[in-house]
Amino acid sequence: MSVPPSASPARAPWQRLWSLSLPVAMGYLPLGAVFGFLLVQAGAAWWLGPLASLFVFAGAAQFMVVPMLAAGLPLLPIAVATLVINLRHIFYGLSLLHRLPSAWWARAYLVWALTDENYSVITALPARASTAEIVGVAALNHFWWILGTVIGALAGAQITTAWAGIDFALAALFAVLAIEQWRAARTMVPILVAGVAYAVALVVLPAQALVVSIALTVAAGLVLGRHQLAEQQQAADPS
Amino acid sequence: MIDTVYALWAIAVMTVVTVLLRALPFLAAPWLKRSPLVLQLGRFLPLAIMTLLLLDTLRGSMAGNPAGAWQELVAIGVAIVLQGRTRQPLLSILVATALYVVFRNVPLFA
Repeated sequence: MSVPPSASPARAPWQRLWSLSLPVAMGYLPLGAVFGFLLVQAGAAWWLGPLASLFVFAGAAQFMVVPMLAAGLPLLPIAVATLVINLRHIFYGLSLLHRLPSAWWARAYLVWALTDENYSVITALPARASTAEIVGVAALNHFWWILGTVIGALAGAQITTAWAGIDFALAALFAVLAIEQWRAARTMVPILVAGVAYAVALVVLPAQALVVSIALTVAAGLVLGRHQLAEQQQAADPS
Repeated sequence: MIDTVYALWAIAVMTVVTVLLRALPFLAAPWLKRSPLVLQLGRFLPLAIMTLLLLDTLRGSMAGNPAGAWQELVAIGVAIVLQGRTRQPLLSILVATALYVVFRNVPLFA
């Protein structure tokens, strides 16, 4: 089919939306199902899982809270644990400051729904992507997460074990998006910095390797950025 | 049994903490946006964070896989090579995931 690019303005964004959201669905549906199942097993009403997935929408924190709820821990430790696990999300906003749509409702929703996967997908969208497209892909991913939780809460163990390995789609998604980021940036420096940071984090605090390595990477990025800015200034002002 | 009212409070607390963390940079945006350093960071972070998410997801997958790390490494290698050559995200992801599901579910590879 040889349709000139200008003749298909509506189709390309929808195709992009699906091709970005399907891998997330393959991860969110089984993982959401496991969460919904575990929470019911721990003794919660079935609808609490989907409610948590709707409002909290933070995979790792939701998994973490299941044993805490089962043990009846006070709310303060739950708040602190959520804070530690989701600390990395601060840095997602930092790199999206100039990318989110300006409509307040779109910004508010995207900030609320800023999971690891939505961050990845939003950074993968072209800069000219419409507000509807950005919100659409985030909301579709949010929907997969809730749907998975409902399925897990209602269907139970048999459905969650039938999917062994399919959530590897998320690892493949991150790999593919890293390749595309590299293609756009044409530099290995962020990859090398991330590799070293993760190795250090594995030694220092393996249980929180992601949080620690992101903090280290941001610190390294600040140092490198300052250095680059100083060089640019020197080039612009040689005296 | 988990008390429903208690669970509702926990969900509310987690929602507030999570949304506040995610909103923090945007609340501080009027100051941050003027900084060229933040702009630079915005260019540096996506590739670095994507690499970290990949490493962390791979490690999580390896930890839950009794057959060892080679299955993750082969499958992710396939995704990287396919994406590098074809630039078709869906194809790369589906082939790599299918391969990994076969690894995990066919007794031959266990």
